[in-house]
Amino acid sequence: MIRLRGAAFGYGNDPVVSGVDLDVSPGDFVGILGPNGSGKTTLFRGMLGLLAPMRGTVERDVAAVGYVPQREALDPVYPLSVEEVCHLGAYGRLSGLRRVSAADRELAVRALARVRIEHRRRELFSSLSGGQRQRVLIARALMMRSPVLLLDEPTTGVDQPTQRLIHDLLAELNRDENLAVLFVSHELALLRDVVKDVVWVANGSVERGEAERMLASEKLEQLFGGFASSEGKG
Amino acid sequence: MDLSLYWELFHFAILAALLAGVVCPLMGAFLLVRRTGFYGVTLPQFAACGVACGYAVLPWWLANVGLGGLDLEAALESPHALRNYVLAWGALFTFGGLLGLVLLGARKETETGRVAAAFAIAAAVTVLLAQKAPTGREFIEQLLRGEILTVDSHEFETIAAVYAVVLVLLWLFHRDLLLVSFDREFALVLGKRVKAFEALLMILTGLTVSAGVLIVGPIVLFGLLVIPPLAARGLARSMVSFFVLSAAFGVVAAAGGLVASFALDWPLGPSLCAVAALELVPGWAFGRLRHGWST
Repeated sequence: MIRLRGAAFGYGNDPVVSGVDLDVSPGDFVGILGPNGSGKTTLFRGMLGLLAPMRGTVERDVAAVGYVPQREALDPVYPLSVEEVCHLGAYGRLSGLRRVSAADRELAVRALARVRIEHRRRELFSSLSGGQRQRVLIARALMMRSPVLLLDEPTTGVDQPTQRLIHDLLAELNRDENLAVLFVSHELALLRDVVKDVVWVANGSVERGEAERMLASEKLEQLFGGFASSEGKG
Repeated sequence: MDLSLYWELFHFAILAALLAGVVCPLMGAFLLVRRTGFYGVTLPQFAACGVACGYAVLPWWLANVGLGGLDLEAALESPHALRNYVLAWGALFTFGGLLGLVLLGARKETETGRVAAAFAIAAAVTVLLAQKAPTGREFIEQLLRGEILTVDSHEFETIAAVYAVVLVLLWLFHRDLLLVSFDREFALVLGKRVKAFEALLMILTGLTVSAGVLIVGPIVLFGLLVIPPLAARGLARSMVSFFVLSAAFGVVAAAGGLVASFALDWPLGPSLCAVAALELVPGWAFGRLRHGWST
């Protein structure tokens, strides 16, 4: 569905990550990990198409990629209801005077139910807790009817039970709907039992492997010396 | 107070103020949520500065560029030609100022300071140009004081046509404008032409201000662009209700301001702002009730 070959992404003339070979297929469940400033978000933006590759190729054979941004990026001054935020996911199918269709309204109700927040659909998005807002944004991405879901640090700034809830939800979507789910995270310890694969982004390069192998202490030592393995235990 | 007499004398001005009461708050709603509310004060000041500049250079313009072959005396007696001329100057300064603010820097952290400085400079230059203008000084002073102006059918048709275009474009594209304002990256992922919609929003803002300032004055525009959306924000439970309440508060402020202006013989602009300020109370009280009085 998404295929990167020899891709380099960066800003100006400086690549942040390069030589990226990566395939995203149906049913993938991948955590994108790496130290701060390693290029996780740069890679993520490249996969989304928000950043053009400086070298290499990026092929997407899906109409749209389901995208969940960091919820802090969204300004609470907008008096959007939960339902209205969810409807934004259908806007790619709308133009001009066309209104959100009855089918899309029904889809929104189902998407909100899927993330177990439909009982608050008439409330203001800004009045929800961090974890609830994150679930609404996942529902919005589901409205795009994409087979791929890319999430930017979905569990940052929420407590551990909520992190677990979001991880369980993503696992459900991956298992029940065969969605490819990729998310940027820096929570090594929490990811061990969640994802199938891990993409490590470090020192300008990208490496993918099974979670068990990629999160083993020996691998962390090899990638980062003592720093990352001790960070992962935290 | 005989309202029918005021209607007879000022019906185009009344209709223009009510029309501005619908359109300006809708535009201001976008400025507020994009945290660019200060533009709602600065852009009308740019437009007023343009009008003052138009009057200041009028003799030179007539001598060197021309205005349909009119000399100064004929131009002053031809209200349509003169109003169109100063309207063009107002639009030029509004769009030029807007473009300048955008091009001067993308650094968000200094944006408020930049816009505030631009307001102060434009206000000062307007007064200086009005002082130097050989003609139209009285008109500029009326405009700046926010006094109700005589609006003829031609001017009403101008503002009605421009505001109709603004309303139609807002209606057609409000979803896309909302999307690119709320979550720019998500809009890009959806394949929306984000820069085109951002440009459209600026053009609509410029049109609203430049057409409005000459006819209802900058103070009316300040009041209608900023205060009704702010009052509506506290009560709104969705974006739809936010837009509807903003326009409703705008019409009530315009109507209340007109009545207060006629009844108390106050200038329209300050009267309208005073009525609009009262509208902030329900939103504030509702917010206190919702979030508790202690916060």
